[in-house]
Amino acid sequence: MGAGTGKLSGVNVAETILVFAAIPLAIVVVLALLTLKPGADRRPRYKPGQAWDHAPVWYEPHPAHAGGHGPVAAHGPAAVPGSGTAALGSSMYPEQPGERALDSGTGAGPAVGDGHVHGGATAARAIQPAGPLGGARGTW
Amino acid sequence: MTRPLEVDSHDTATNQTAAARTDEGRLDEVFSFRELARLDEALTMSSRETGLHFTLYVGELRTPTRTHAEELHARSGAHPTDSVLIAVSPGQRVVEVVTGAGAARRLPDRACALAVLSMTSSFSSGDLVGGIVNGLRQLSDQAGHPAGLRTH
Repeated sequence: MGAGTGKLSGVNVAETILVFAAIPLAIVVVLALLTLKPGADRRPRYKPGQAWDHAPVWYEPHPAHAGGHGPVAAHGPAAVPGSGTAALGSSMYPEQPGERALDSGTGAGPAVGDGHVHGGATAARAIQPAGPLGGARGTW
Repeated sequence: MTRPLEVDSHDTATNQTAAARTDEGRLDEVFSFRELARLDEALTMSSRETGLHFTLYVGELRTPTRTHAEELHARSGAHPTDSVLIAVSPGQRVVEVVTGAGAARRLPDRACALAVLSMTSSFSSGDLVGGIVNGLRQLSDQAGHPAGLRTH
């Protein structure tokens, strides 16, 4: 406020737009970015009833004697106790239709090791009878 | 953030072989790496503590789901008698637990049903990984620790 001039200076259109449109818009954009950015790479959460269109995955535990010191080349069928195989478990092996064939013994060595999940190393095995089976079923 | 290795595919896959590792989908397509680590630890620790072979199948099951789960169980390890398969089909909203004859002696059907019940209550609230981990914990607690098993 000047020294008692008593004269108000008008604002032109550009200043009006800047103050009343551009600044609120900028604030909204910044808040929207802060809100949406952290969730951009998050996978959609599973909700009961929605379709499941992922390929089947079969996980198995690490074999007890493998040690777990990174990817090791596999020899023969993995996870045979006492045979000294070094195939790492925790296998993610999407089920391949061709692998349903019998005991092929192809231990595909892990190609991608990221510290958490080692590549699959287990081939399909011959079907063996396991006696009377037990278990339970649940639906939700 | 951990990402899978980005590598060029020197594709040697043929009609007779499976797809190359680099051609398969992202490793964390279904679960995040954090969730995979939880699953991995739960599977490995319950298998080591009990001496049973726990495996986990997540995906579509052919109907009748029980038959498909039993077929999977027959292929689930070197000794299917001592293995336990947990087959979860989120699309069909079915979970099947299959125990071999040896495993069933230590994991009676009643214990499996209890574990399945706790799994389904988590699943119905949308928590797949938490339900699986809790179910594995219940199953391994029930199966106990056999005498003479060296875990370390």
